[in-house]
Amino acid sequence: MSPIDSPIAHYPVNDFGPLMKGLVIGGVGIVHVFLAQFAIGGGMLMWYFERLGQRGLPDARTFVDGYFKVLVLVSFVVGALTGVAMWFTTIQVGARTIGLMIDEFHWLWATEWVWFAVEITAGYAFYRAGRRLGGRARLRLLALYALASWMSLFWINGILAWQLTPGRWLDGGGMWAGFFNPSFLPSLLFRTAVSTTLGALAACIVINTMDLPRDRRAQLIRRASRFAAPIAVMPVLALWFAAVLPGDSRSWLLGGSMAMTMFVGVAAGASLLVGGYVIAGLIVQRLYINGATATLLLGLAFGATAAGEFVREGARKPYTVRGVLYSTSIRPDEVAALRRTGATAADPYPLRERYPGEQLARGARVERALCDACHTMRGANALVELTRTWADDQLRLNLAKLQRTKGFMPPFAGNAEDVEALVQLLRWERDDRPAGFAAPPASPETLAQIARWLDEAGTAAAGEPR
Amino acid sequence: MMWPFDASTESLWLALYLVSFALHAVLVSYVAAGTVYALVAALRRSADPIAERTRDWLPFLLGAGITAGIGPLLFLQLLYQRRFYTANLLMGPRWGAVVPALILGFYALYLAKASEHRRRLALGAGAACFGFVAWSWTELHQVMLDDAGWRAMYAAGERFHLDAAVLPRLAIWAGAMLALFATVAAWPASAAERRRLAALALTGLIICGATSAIALAIRRDFDPAHGWTYLLGIAAIAAALGWGWTAHRPDGPGLSVTTAATTAALLAGAVVREAPRLALIEHGRATAVGSGGLPVFVVTLAVGAAAIAWVVRTVRGAAE
Ligand code: HEC
Ligand code: HEM
Repeated sequence: MSPIDSPIAHYPVNDFGPLMKGLVIGGVGIVHVFLAQFAIGGGMLMWYFERLGQRGLPDARTFVDGYFKVLVLVSFVVGALTGVAMWFTTIQVGARTIGLMIDEFHWLWATEWVWFAVEITAGYAFYRAGRRLGGRARLRLLALYALASWMSLFWINGILAWQLTPGRWLDGGGMWAGFFNPSFLPSLLFRTAVSTTLGALAACIVINTMDLPRDRRAQLIRRASRFAAPIAVMPVLALWFAAVLPGDSRSWLLGGSMAMTMFVGVAAGASLLVGGYVIAGLIVQRLYINGATATLLLGLAFGATAAGEFVREGARKPYTVRGVLYSTSIRPDEVAALRRTGATAADPYPLRERYPGEQLARGARVERALCDACHTMRGANALVELTRTWADDQLRLNLAKLQRTKGFMPPFAGNAEDVEALVQLLRWERDDRPAGFAAPPASPETLAQIARWLDEAGTAAAGEPR
Repeated sequence: MMWPFDASTESLWLALYLVSFALHAVLVSYVAAGTVYALVAALRRSADPIAERTRDWLPFLLGAGITAGIGPLLFLQLLYQRRFYTANLLMGPRWGAVVPALILGFYALYLAKASEHRRRLALGAGAACFGFVAWSWTELHQVMLDDAGWRAMYAAGERFHLDAAVLPRLAIWAGAMLALFATVAAWPASAAERRRLAALALTGLIICGATSAIALAIRRDFDPAHGWTYLLGIAAIAAALGWGWTAHRPDGPGLSVTTAATTAALLAGAVVREAPRLALIEHGRATAVGSGGLPVFVVTLAVGAAAIAWVVRTVRGAAE
């Protein structure tokens, strides 16, 4: 049978070496989100400064023309292309997930694409012809640019929020119920606030490169820093966001999973530093900020964005779409059947590596199908290290009851032989792949015990679907 | 309804795929062929107004071409989802190299515009990048079709798909890109420049015709595609005649004829290109067919088109 004919989509799985897939998508995602949000905030800021300039603020217009060059060169080029890169990496990490998102939301995606085209056109028109245009046309063009870029955020935000909190969509509420889901509004407002802050910080850097006396630069900086004021409401928005999260996700962020909690801490801490400086220093005390400090703050904001995106990716576990699709590209309602047939009975793709013996090869296929989305063997989140000290039976028990071992793992979607094969593979890997490895054939009692454990754990996820 | 369209949702996707792909093809053709044209002009060190204008427009048209590429990218995932994703995954990091190549190409185009000193280097790098990207899409297209070979390709960890069809396909694209570039570039050109562009376009059309003829002779798989192939042939001949007319009388109506005929050939060509894989459209993904939001898209498309038209008018009004 050709891989295209299987009833459930099976995709070839790539190996990213010691890097976990989440890290791969996280890395591209962070750069993209950062640049895209910078573009949105930058667009709004340009409009604001253009208006100030037309009302008589000196140098505002020079600044607008200078800033726009940065915006076009950096954010357009890299922002647009990292968007394409996002798409490609999402396919690498979870083709079935992006497929589901496209199937459900393609018209909204197409809508977002139209706005993106408007953004590019308006932006480039301003870049090329801005200096020749009259005041009204300039203002309108910038307004269109800012609106279009924010509309892109509007549409994409709903789709991404749906992954985490599908809400009434799960009860058959339809596409719009999925789009306007519980975390839609808090995350839209949050990202908007981040955007204006990034736009303002980047502006402070650009202003410092302008060939002006310091007091005139200071005047521009004072206006720009007003644009970062929304950072003051970010704590409220973050709490709102946390409040609409599913209970189990929230508990991981707040201590249940130390790695996640630390990312939350980094994001909150970095935001607090940026926010404190902006509010207390720039807005209240009207301090001057030099290029180096502004760059440092922007760097901190980048760190906060990075940590925030990891939290967003991590909080969905064990799902990529809450209640609908596990990170392993298996749907909850497919688990029971996989318990009967075995995890890899329908997987058409062979192994790339050779293993001594059938059982280890089976273990490797099971690992690829059920664990590889979140673990590597020896690199990030290494299975060998996580289980090194465990006794064999402990390992069997914990894998069979995977969703009880940790709530952010899905139920084990295979049978008792699969568990045993995986256990033997982990032992073989732990012992540094001994050549003459011969596991004693599992006794019927062992397999029966594993089967009981699988039954006890059941086929449902540990947490509620919402 | 007219083949290959019927009243299904898939047909709507297909139509949007074809139109957005044609738009993508015009823009990236301008970029790829234009970069090569500007490179040749720079190597010859001749003062060439066509090359100058092209250099000026290349960065924006690359941005527009990439943006236009997202349209077919979206609809491709609805029509041939499993094939497209599988091909992406099989080509893996080799496929991912497309993005850095484009970023490099982008900055090369800006550099070519800004620095006379580094122009040849920059344009050379740009041409290499765009050639690589075009080749990658062609290869991906072939991998998508070859489901019988997927398993072996995966097992071997093979990232390249050296299919016998890739080179002729690229040759046809090279010819088409020349013709499309010349068509766009001819509009702002002077009479003498239009003659040169006519020669370029005719060369492109001859490359297309000759490669297709050779491929047909070898493979013997002529597919009339319900008449679209004939339409393509007729439109291409009309475009060639229009170019002849333009060369003869650069300010006459020849260029309009050529542009209309080239547009027709492009659209017919998009259908003919699609014909062999129409049978592979993945029907019956209920979620996708039943998904809402079409009215929002239609309204946005109208608003967006109006906004873009307004921008173009505003900028034109400010010219000079
Ligand atoms: C949805 C992502 C995901 C999947 C799929 C997944 N895991 Fe995990 N697993 C995690 C995370 C996250 C941790 C926590 C790591 C930590 O605490 O450092 C974890 C922890 C573990 C641990 C250590 C548990 C403990 O209490 O110390 C083991 C063992 C483990 N996983 C095995 C597996 C195996 C075997 C599979 C495949 C059958 C698998 N996991 C599938 C995400 C996943
Ligand atoms: C300079 C850059 C680019 C060039 C020169 C280029 C060129 C091409 C060519 C020649 C094809 C046809 C392949 C064939 O029929 O064999 C093609 C197809 C395509 N391109 Fe591009 N492209 C570029 C960038 C992009 C980008 C950035 C995207 C995505 C955003 C994109 C999306 C597509 C899509 C979806 C197809 C259709 C593939 C298919 O139907 O199989 N292209 N491109």
